Amino acid sequence: MPGGTLHGAPPPGAINSQQSRLRDHRVTIIKATVSAAPHAPAANAASTPRPLRRNPPRNQFFAFRGTLSKRAQILTAIGSTLFVLAVWELSTRLGLINATFLPPPSVTLETLWNMILHKNLLMHAGISTLRIWVAFALAVIMAVPIGIAMSSFRGVGAALEPIVDFIRYLPVPALVPLSIIWFGVGETTKIFLLWLGTFFQLVLLVADDMRRVPQEYVEISYTVGARPRQMLTDVAFRAMLPSLFDNLRITLGWCWTYLIIAEIVAADTGLGFVIWAARRYMNTSEVMAGVVAIGLIGLVTDQILRLVHKRLFRYL
Amino acid sequence: MAPAPYLVFDGVAKYFGDLEVVAPFFNLTIKRNEFVVFLGPSGSGKTTLMRMVGGLETPSVGEIRLDGLPIGAPDRERGMVFQSYSSFPWLTVSENVAYGMKYRHDMTPERKKKRLDHYLELVGLTDFADFYPNKVSGGMRQRIAIARTLAAGSEVLLMDEPFGALDAQRREGLQLELRRIHRQDAKTIIFVTHDVDEAVFLADRIVVFSKRPARMLEDVDISAELGPDRTIALRDSEQFFKLRTRILRMVRAATGEEEKV
Repeated sequence: MPGGTLHGAPPPGAINSQQSRLRDHRVTIIKATVSAAPHAPAANAASTPRPLRRNPPRNQFFAFRGTLSKRAQILTAIGSTLFVLAVWELSTRLGLINATFLPPPSVTLETLWNMILHKNLLMHAGISTLRIWVAFALAVIMAVPIGIAMSSFRGVGAALEPIVDFIRYLPVPALVPLSIIWFGVGETTKIFLLWLGTFFQLVLLVADDMRRVPQEYVEISYTVGARPRQMLTDVAFRAMLPSLFDNLRITLGWCWTYLIIAEIVAADTGLGFVIWAARRYMNTSEVMAGVVAIGLIGLVTDQILRLVHKRLFRYL
Repeated sequence: MAPAPYLVFDGVAKYFGDLEVVAPFFNLTIKRNEFVVFLGPSGSGKTTLMRMVGGLETPSVGEIRLDGLPIGAPDRERGMVFQSYSSFPWLTVSENVAYGMKYRHDMTPERKKKRLDHYLELVGLTDFADFYPNKVSGGMRQRIAIARTLAAGSEVLLMDEPFGALDAQRREGLQLELRRIHRQDAKTIIFVTHDVDEAVFLADRIVVFSKRPARMLEDVDISAELGPDRTIALRDSEQFFKLRTRILRMVRAATGEEEKV
């Protein structure tokens, strides 16, 4: 029997049972060595009516690294967002939560709209965004070369690592009094606090990005005649760009989290100021609207940066 | 008259801290255009010896001379082909090959273009010139690396298990191609591998290494037995088989496997 199924084309649909028979054949060989041969036909007969499919297909929704269509993913994302909004809305409408403390999304959105129309919310958002970008740009301009130098030259790394690691763990709010003493209550303090929150983190991330550039790339570069400076700019920097970009995107997000701290320091503009001022009058719907505005700006920025990443690094 | 020594290892030893990687004293003389395979167990220090030729490591003791001059910092005279990360993902196939000539100011752009086309053709990548490396096979990526070092004008090719990550068919194809390239575009090649079959097929000469610290156990002249031409047919010949078995025994002896069998 086994020889017969191996030669010539098997009848359609027979492949599965053929495989199982082949497997059983192996089993019988093992058995045959243990006991006598006549057991073989019995084992074969028992295995023929196997079901065509052994296991039902896995549910892709919860399969580890399963495949889910883009459409299904978008629908899931919209669905979950709507679900959260619905629960939020209903819990205040049904009186489970006092709307004074947690205004429902409908009120929040309405307030947001009113603030755009009558309270210059867009101007405040613009000022906040500007502050973030100025501080962030300063942090990037300083952190990228310093981070690269730290991981490229052992001397620089040894000199800076303890300082950076120390400051990195200082909570930004703890430095508010000092920064007021140093810079007063103007723009400088705000930029300084935002810069403080990102720069030291960024330095270490940049250093790490450079450290992860494969040694092979460096050696290829040297063995085709690059000088160290050429290797650094043409290869090492180029190789780290995708992960650097990713880290910039993430730290930009962190920058926003320090905004409130920076803008409650005697500010009269910015989203942080708006939120803080509304809090003083227990105007929770304006507080929520301000928070939502920050969230929306973050969401949009992040999506734009992801798209840019995709465009810039098509080769990945 | 015997050809002048080209690449000379003169009383070399290498330590990484307390770790002895190359045992004192390693001596070897390689002729110009010789295809030498360093064969030995993984982690035996043969790669370190090859990297010293590249200028990527310096000998703790002794000296390595190329054409009479001691080897210093890496340059394009000695090109490297690695097993992985052998090409830059952000450059296309042709840009990767052209990178080999990026720092050559002794060539006009026209001449660079001609060389680029020539070497793309030589390794059979002309049709894939505008692809990014992630869109071509692992074998093609290794060919990119070979073409790049050739384009750079490297006189010595240092290859560190370049075909290690490839499947058997691609490996065989690339081995044939490498032999052809070696004959066509005469270069001195040091090829590190732990694959006996690959070593015998490729080499003019095999140097068999011990376990770490690396010591030369045997120095076998393969060309004397198989000649310079390597074809697929040769692979199936009894002559090849016998030689392979002989070398395999040497490697087993080197790793101490013989006693266990």
